[in-house]
Amino acid sequence: MAKREVTNSNQQNDRRMKTKDLIYAGAFGAIYLVVMLVIVMGTSGIAIMYLLAPLTVGIVCATIYELCVLKVKKFGPALILGVLFSLVSCMGNIPGMIGCFIAALLAELIIKAGGYSSRKSYLASYPIFNLTMAMPYTMLGFQRETFIRRAADWYSQGYADALDAAAPSWIWYGIAVEAVIGGIIGVLLASKLIKKHFDKAGII
Amino acid sequence: MDLTLYGDDSKGLIKLDPRTKMLMVLSSGVLSFFSYNDVPLFVFCTVLCTLLALCGKPLTALKGYLAFAVALYLRFCISSRASAAPFLEIISQVLITVLLYCLPVVLSFILLTGTTRISQFISAFQAMHLPMKVIIPVAVFFRFIPTVQEEWTGIRKAMAFRGISVGLGSIFRHPMRTVEYVLVPMLFSSISVMEELASAALARGMDMDVKRSSYQSVRLGPADYIAGGIILAVTIYVMSSGW
Repeated sequence: MAKREVTNSNQQNDRRMKTKDLIYAGAFGAIYLVVMLVIVMGTSGIAIMYLLAPLTVGIVCATIYELCVLKVKKFGPALILGVLFSLVSCMGNIPGMIGCFIAALLAELIIKAGGYSSRKSYLASYPIFNLTMAMPYTMLGFQRETFIRRAADWYSQGYADALDAAAPSWIWYGIAVEAVIGGIIGVLLASKLIKKHFDKAGII
Repeated sequence: MDLTLYGDDSKGLIKLDPRTKMLMVLSSGVLSFFSYNDVPLFVFCTVLCTLLALCGKPLTALKGYLAFAVALYLRFCISSRASAAPFLEIISQVLITVLLYCLPVVLSFILLTGTTRISQFISAFQAMHLPMKVIIPVAVFFRFIPTVQEEWTGIRKAMAFRGISVGLGSIFRHPMRTVEYVLVPMLFSSISVMEELASAALARGMDMDVKRSSYQSVRLGPADYIAGGIILAVTIYVMSSGW
């Protein structure tokens, strides 16, 4: 009974998040981050794969993000996802955290521009949201020497040299573009999967 | 199948406050970012595993500690001699280092999520005077991570039952298909868990604006001060010397 009342009030034009929406956002955030961490940890052994992580994460995680925002359809889920993301991945990197927040906010604004009803604006928001994946790399882009030195201390001189060789100085912009491309591919995949599975099951 | 409560801490010898555990997660994150030195990591991991054992997860603590010791030993072996295959050396070095630096984070996450009930989370957050809009997503976030892991094991079993492997090999051979096979069932089952969680929250009056009372009393005890003190000391030492 309580559940039905909540769905009714969801259909009204109330765009503030209710308890139920907050639960969805937190839970999808957990799935998103676990999948992201599995991908990054699984591939970062090779320096070039570490640099390609925004692409791979974008492709895989787009479906999770889309389901989250399509399930809630209010102002906030992308922002919560972005904040949880920044807490886990940009620890000790304040500019990166701010960047994550801005990227998530832009994604929210794109959804808002679509009036919370156009599927296209939901899809279009993910490539921007996926810029969050480029934020942990801000250190490599803007504090390059510190980062390379740290990589040498963490891993080995060989890894740092490989990273240094693989990453030219404009690398951060490259990574940002890569994140957007990953987001676009991911969104194409996500819309296919959503049509094929989740629409049919009536989940969103 | 073992049907245990989420975050059951009744078997533990000591009960830590959720806030202390959150401090551990935060400082382990900071530590794995700033520490190059093995000694603080070693001290931190020892404290962490002891606490994990005392909080009622002795087996996990032992496993984690052994994995940590082995990784530390291997790292020492690799770096102490020159090898003939530099590429292999880099890869193995990086893998071991990732393992080494992830372990504190993973262990403290297990400590946090494995020994804390969701109601304890919420009352601890409320004691910190945070608004419900912040409390609920974060509490659900921590509560949901073990669920994701559980669903993943379930999916693997179900797939194996139908003769589909979702291991490393299939990820490389059919990446897209594997993503679909894993992601879709995981999302489906997670969504139904979320719905149940939402109904349970509503039944407990979580969407009311009044201040909630709680059966779970959270209070910082002597154990919290001792554990928190040690953790803070190690973290501050690393932060001040590691830069």
